[in-house]
Amino acid sequence: MQNVDAIGSGISEQPKLNYLTNGFTLKSWLLTKDHKRIAIMYLITVSLFFMAGGIYASVIRLELLTPASDLVQTATYNKVFTQHGILMIFFFLIPSIPAVLGNFLLPIMIGAKDLALPRINLLSLYIYWIGGALTIYALMQGGVDTGWTFYTPYSTTFSNTYVMAVGLGIFINGFSSILTGLNFIVTVHTMRAPGMTWFRLPLFVWAQYATSLVMILGTPVIAITVLLLAIERTVKVGIFDPSIGGDPILFQHMFWFYSHPAVYIMVLPGMGVVSELISNFSRKKIFGYEFIAFSSIAIAVFGFLVWGHHMFVSGQSIYAGLVFSFLTMVVAVPSAIKMFNWAATLYKGSISFDTPMLYGLGFMGLFLIGGLTGLFLGAIGLTVHLTDTYFVVAHFHYVMVGGQVIAYLGGIHYWWPKMTGKMYSEFWGKISAMLVFVGFNLTFGPQFILGYLGMPRRYASYPEELQVLNIFSTAGASVLGVGMLMPVIYLLHSLVWGKPAGDNPWMLPGLEWRTSSPPPTENFEKMPVVTWEAYEFGEESGLDLEGARNRVRPSTVA
Amino acid sequence: MSSHSDNNEEFHYHAPGLQHQFEDMKQQEESVSIGMWMFLVQEIMFFGGLFTAYLVFRSRYPMAFAAGSNHLNAFWGGLNTLVLIVSSLTMALTVYYAQKGNRNMQVILIVLTMFFGSVFLGVKAIEYTDKYNHGLVPVSGWNKRIKEEAGDHHEAAKPCWDVDHNAPVVEHPNPHGEFQWTDCSLVKLAQDHNYLTDAERVGYFNQGTGQIDANKFRDKVRIFYFIYFVMTGLHALHMIIGLGIMTWLLILAWKNTFSADYYMPVEMSGLYWHFVDIVWIFLFPLLYLLGRHFLH
Repeated sequence: MQNVDAIGSGISEQPKLNYLTNGFTLKSWLLTKDHKRIAIMYLITVSLFFMAGGIYASVIRLELLTPASDLVQTATYNKVFTQHGILMIFFFLIPSIPAVLGNFLLPIMIGAKDLALPRINLLSLYIYWIGGALTIYALMQGGVDTGWTFYTPYSTTFSNTYVMAVGLGIFINGFSSILTGLNFIVTVHTMRAPGMTWFRLPLFVWAQYATSLVMILGTPVIAITVLLLAIERTVKVGIFDPSIGGDPILFQHMFWFYSHPAVYIMVLPGMGVVSELISNFSRKKIFGYEFIAFSSIAIAVFGFLVWGHHMFVSGQSIYAGLVFSFLTMVVAVPSAIKMFNWAATLYKGSISFDTPMLYGLGFMGLFLIGGLTGLFLGAIGLTVHLTDTYFVVAHFHYVMVGGQVIAYLGGIHYWWPKMTGKMYSEFWGKISAMLVFVGFNLTFGPQFILGYLGMPRRYASYPEELQVLNIFSTAGASVLGVGMLMPVIYLLHSLVWGKPAGDNPWMLPGLEWRTSSPPPTENFEKMPVVTWEAYEFGEESGLDLEGARNRVRPSTVA
Repeated sequence: MSSHSDNNEEFHYHAPGLQHQFEDMKQQEESVSIGMWMFLVQEIMFFGGLFTAYLVFRSRYPMAFAAGSNHLNAFWGGLNTLVLIVSSLTMALTVYYAQKGNRNMQVILIVLTMFFGSVFLGVKAIEYTDKYNHGLVPVSGWNKRIKEEAGDHHEAAKPCWDVDHNAPVVEHPNPHGEFQWTDCSLVKLAQDHNYLTDAERVGYFNQGTGQIDANKFRDKVRIFYFIYFVMTGLHALHMIIGLGIMTWLLILAWKNTFSADYYMPVEMSGLYWHFVDIVWIFLFPLLYLLGRHFLH
């Protein structure tokens, strides 16, 4: 449509102002209601938290290089893995894709000027900052050693670390994700452009919608749970203390009622990104659109019914265990549906191995392993052997890092030209994507074996015969670390020295590729009218994508 | 941001109150309305955690909950229920008159709503004070301290279940402001009629002697009061926030902001107010009424 000619030249006429050049003062950023600016501020903050969590991770891996606990004291080690978990889960993984990519792209993808409630969006950023600042403050004061799960009665009665402050940080931060979820749901319902029907929405939007449902329904429960924990810890009475008839298992139920669905907050958005990557870089309409869309919703719904599989050995009834085990198998079905549909999309597609696609394909492989090992842990017999071992650690890192982080990096690379208007170095991008993939497998692959051999999680020392595998794991972590740091360098480099990306560098039909890069503050020059289906590469999309692709083959297309 | 909105006005005609991201009022109203409902959904889940805790412990220790419940004053609770229902009526009428654009009626009704909200909080304060005076706040040291007097010990000889409920209330000494509970008569009743739950058989009795253990029973009643204070406390907090919203509405109504075209703030505040009322409609029977027949 408006950009047909622009595709060929690669660079469109610059619009009057884009969202980055529309005001340069600090105030114009801190008081902005523009979802794109808020997303950029989220991107910066989330990246800082990711680095902080990464530093803790490297301390863990260095400590585990040798069997003895020699690098840090055991009490310090407890704090290190706790803080690694808290920073990574609450302050990186949960906000990562929704608050950064979702915030930036969801309104553009549905053809809206902004999210429906921009002030609420800004409020959620500030709540995130306040919660994060409080948590960082608590960590600097001395930290917390309860594990990210805060299990009672240790957290209420015995731990004398900064449980209260960190708990409060998480409580506050929770409302940030509630407000983001609320905003996305409203936006998808009311802000779609003319012609953008529900079944023309990009699958990324469907995934964000499903994630938002989980955020709204789950997060308040962790809020009240942490609040009860805080009250109990302060005034020394409550409902979790077994010595007065309280129930510590109730805490686990309430905690996992949120935190298991939260696992899907940490992977559903990644699945949304991967749906985009697989279809777009295969240049083929996605296979089974409705199935992928509804499987996101199904995951969100079934995700609420399986929390008990975290508690198989904590004394819940065997019948509850059976039901939870069965439901855990059920929740694997929609994930499998997605995997099969992505594989079918690849089949006979015109696949280009650009950096985002490398991440997309990496996700498929890693998530497959992560998902399948989840079934091992959901099997009620085998899980007794594997509970609280490195098998669990490896499993959830395959899902969260191999899933969400890989998808997040893929998404950042994919939409970087749109967000900044600059193209990063494809060469270094590919190198780093492959380093991340290799490093990740080298880090966490051996941990499956370690766990199977019985190495428990959360210990600073281990028997000497397990050292070889641990050395592999630490070596892998350093490769992974290098792979993760490289994008920081070449992406920042591209901001100044990168080639202008043009409006549609990948030659794709989505709405976000039909506005300028970076987009203007109101996203589109005039309200788009959608007449094509999602992932339409033919003439129906209104763009001569193939023609443009043949005329100019940018350096990115090998 | 300033240049942003400037750009905007060049291109579009904007109805008053219409924000830049929307095309028309209908879209804005729909968005705000869905957003509010989603907010209420998360509120339900927030209180839902507490209701779950209530349910778990009530089903485990029904006698302790009945005993604790009997010490709440159903008159004050009932009065508060009535007050809140009336405030919901005045709130609903506020929305009606906002749609009519009747400024005076809006102001009167908002003031009435705020009045009833304040009455509710006042009654709540009376009840909390009563709990403070009777040693029923479940936190050590947060109750009224009553000095021990000589010759006050004749009661200790009687077993804790032998209580005359018609006798005048005696002030028990409470030098440290502890949570106090001495009446185990309901445990005896349930034991005699054989309807103790499994948890109660363990939770109320001294496992060595098989006798009712007054301290263990007190701890279970304390759980009831913990849940009572957290639930009503969070509800009261929502009421206070509600009064803040009403103050804001009052200012807007005073300036005659609302009309048939623009009344969403009133309607949304109304939704919130009704929600807080409905929470109380559940709290009142659960906390005050269930189990009263044991003693009344």
